[in-house]
Amino acid sequence: MPSDSPGRNGFRAFAEAAFPLAAIASRPEALKGIRVIELATRIFGPATCDCLGEFGAEVIKVEMPLRGDLMRYVSPEGFFWKEMSPAFLSLNRNKLHVAIDVHPPEGKELFTRLAEKSDVVVENLRAGTMDKWGIGYRQLRERNPGIIYAANSGFGQWGPYSQGRASYDATAQAVSGFSAITGFPDQPPMKAGFWVGDYTAALLSATAILAALAARRRTGEGQMIDLSQAEAMIRTLDWTWPYAGRTGQDRRRAGNQDVTLPPSGIYRCADGFVAVSARDDEERAGLFRALSGDSGGEGGSLVPERVARFTAAKTCGEVLRISEEAGFSAAPVVGGREQYHDPHLRARGTVWELDDPLYGRIDEFGPCPKLSESPGRIKWTAKPVGYHNEKVFGELLGLSAKEMEELARKKVIGKWADLPGARPPEAEGPGQPGKTEESARRG
Amino acid sequence: MNGFDAWAKAATDPQRVGEKPEALSGLRVLEHCPGHFGGMVAASILGEFGAEGIKVEPPGGDPARGYAPMGISIAGTGLPFLSEARNRRFVTLSLEKEMGREVFRRLAMAADVIVTSESAERMEERGIGYAGLSRGNPGLIFLALSTYGSFGPHAGRPVKDSDILCQALSGAPYIVGEPEGEGPPQPHQAPTKLGNWHGWFVEGLCGAFGVLAALHFRWETGKGQFIDVSGPEGLMKFADYNITWMHAAGKARKRVGNFDPAVFPYTYIRCRDGYTFIAAYNDEAFESLMTIIGRPELSKDPRFSPPANRVRMENEQALLSILEEWSGNLTADEILRAVEDYTSKQSGPAAAVVTGRVNRPLETLADAHWRERGCFTRVNDSVYGDLLLAAPPWKMSGTPARVKSVCRLPGADNRDVYGEIGYSPEEIDSLIARGIL
Repeated sequence: MPSDSPGRNGFRAFAEAAFPLAAIASRPEALKGIRVIELATRIFGPATCDCLGEFGAEVIKVEMPLRGDLMRYVSPEGFFWKEMSPAFLSLNRNKLHVAIDVHPPEGKELFTRLAEKSDVVVENLRAGTMDKWGIGYRQLRERNPGIIYAANSGFGQWGPYSQGRASYDATAQAVSGFSAITGFPDQPPMKAGFWVGDYTAALLSATAILAALAARRRTGEGQMIDLSQAEAMIRTLDWTWPYAGRTGQDRRRAGNQDVTLPPSGIYRCADGFVAVSARDDEERAGLFRALSGDSGGEGGSLVPERVARFTAAKTCGEVLRISEEAGFSAAPVVGGREQYHDPHLRARGTVWELDDPLYGRIDEFGPCPKLSESPGRIKWTAKPVGYHNEKVFGELLGLSAKEMEELARKKVIGKWADLPGARPPEAEGPGQPGKTEESARRG
Repeated sequence: MNGFDAWAKAATDPQRVGEKPEALSGLRVLEHCPGHFGGMVAASILGEFGAEGIKVEPPGGDPARGYAPMGISIAGTGLPFLSEARNRRFVTLSLEKEMGREVFRRLAMAADVIVTSESAERMEERGIGYAGLSRGNPGLIFLALSTYGSFGPHAGRPVKDSDILCQALSGAPYIVGEPEGEGPPQPHQAPTKLGNWHGWFVEGLCGAFGVLAALHFRWETGKGQFIDVSGPEGLMKFADYNITWMHAAGKARKRVGNFDPAVFPYTYIRCRDGYTFIAAYNDEAFESLMTIIGRPELSKDPRFSPPANRVRMENEQALLSILEEWSGNLTADEILRAVEDYTSKQSGPAAAVVTGRVNRPLETLADAHWRERGCFTRVNDSVYGDLLLAAPPWKMSGTPARVKSVCRLPGADNRDVYGEIGYSPEEIDSLIARGIL
């Protein structure tokens, strides 16, 4: 080893210095100085901006006055926490919330003035809607040639299905072929029970926005990025397409087996489920040893049925311990409860303990990836409709209080409706912490 | 439409990408990810935007070339590898000997980005980790991909990162699949993996995103950095409100098959020619859908109104039966037409009735829409033959992403790449003879 190599202890020392949670607030942000305007609803557009906001971009979320983003009313089992849906909170961190009705001319002008002072616009309306309203890429670039405009949609901005067809996450799951290869062979296709078609496409959109920002440094020019969420899902289906191209056949559903790396898969064990993974010959040999040792040295082949019998009688912890001894890989199949209580995820800031100025303590999903010099962070969670109107319209656009009053009177700008999901939390008296939070800590 | 769609097509047509510049040209990415698909994804995404990728394989080829579902292999390389080997050059290098590590260090001095799936700690031990390399190349962006990340209490767990590990720990399978019913559980009543390598894909995508964020920071400060991606943490975010709901209500998401705890209808329904997706969950859209199926009175039925009642599991089941009474006699296309006929006359929240057929891959391929948008690309490669690939998903007006090459044999670019960093042909011959390349 060369003398200047820090070696094993060197890496530990580096990692300890590079990633302490307490130091994050004092470190610079990767995307500081980038301003993003979001005119989007539900998940695809908002999640795109959430990714950028985690790394320091200033995101201004534009909602309709009163009700705002309809995602505010999507709540698990109808549950609202301090008047907010957990589903909305987890998608809209670090954003400034303003409410503008962009239908009247004053609203369009206000939106355009925001876009003039911004680097990025993200929308996820039906294709062509923004252009029809006079605030699409073609119009905004006249006022700001450097603008990067992410047009997120179900089927793209052009092509036979682009006009009028709406899309959600599961539209993309369905039409892409993703669902057809997910689930068990003798069962119907399985919809992923989370909004994978939105989040996958959102991360692809955020990545393209960063690439376009890189290009702008050289050219000074912005551009439009057209991303269909179904095409995003198509891009993720690995060998599905070369297989179809070569054999003319459909890839089949294979349940919990990874047919490329057999017998890797998810298996039932005595106290839950465990993932068993064998990526190469070394790991397959290790797994084989473990199975043989278990059944008194019998030979036989490395088939899933045998792995299933092996895991069925053991706890997940036992399988993990055996895997480490024998030289294959294994991991528990976990859910939100295990993640919430996992010291590893908390030490990494992946379960992020946020102290929000309005809502108090609320734990959220924290940034991935982890950057050593300019780490991502959660600074605050989502806010009521129009919560930052004065800050944005006053400080950024220089509107006077009188001008804002006039726009509010004309209903061009506005605040929250008196509804759960849109409005601020009820004021709490001193010494009366939120009950739900307390009960969560006990759980 | 003001001709917007025609303008958008002309501005972003993938057939014309060759006329336009690339976003990341000049960015050098060195990829050292033996046996790891997520690392290939990270490098591919950067490569589609124009980065100059170099993939370092062990002499004889990357173990991932041997991944061959259905036993299909072309010139020694399986289909998964071929699906993510685009736009890069291929060199071989053994890092087992110090002489090989010295070659790697020289490659790293000429690189902007390193992508690796090897343990960051082990890389450091061998003198090719971030702390060592960044001393000579302070602008270096070093992306480390792993299951548990490079720090934290579980960072030392001895696993080889894989898709199934990423999926299991992400919490995704936990909330995908059928719940158990009465009696002994059936095999399919289990946490269910996503059919593709979605865990690995998202791990790589998070890595590419991190590299571009770090690149932005480097432009401002000149500083490179270490990027730590734990694969499960990428996909974990996609399970959205899991953590927030736990904190606020002490509740975790569960498996509910094709139902949903927050929105309904938002499910697959049986139709005459298979299954189709149907969603109409906000009140206005729900009313639209009940009108479309000829049951307008149901929008005020106490089982389905307000929305909090609609997402009770027994009511979701009742509503599914009602919807399938209607859809069972219709094809997915007929359902789409019925929805579009009605919603085209609505606006705002009432138009939010959404449908789309659950397609098998060949049906997706046959769809004229994707063909017109250049969503797939067919390449005839001199070594690997005729290959069908997913094209870059973005259409961009200024610096469009593109596929420039498919794959090369291991070491195919050794002479070019090692020549560029100063090795003479004789030195390269010597490295080959010693088994380093």
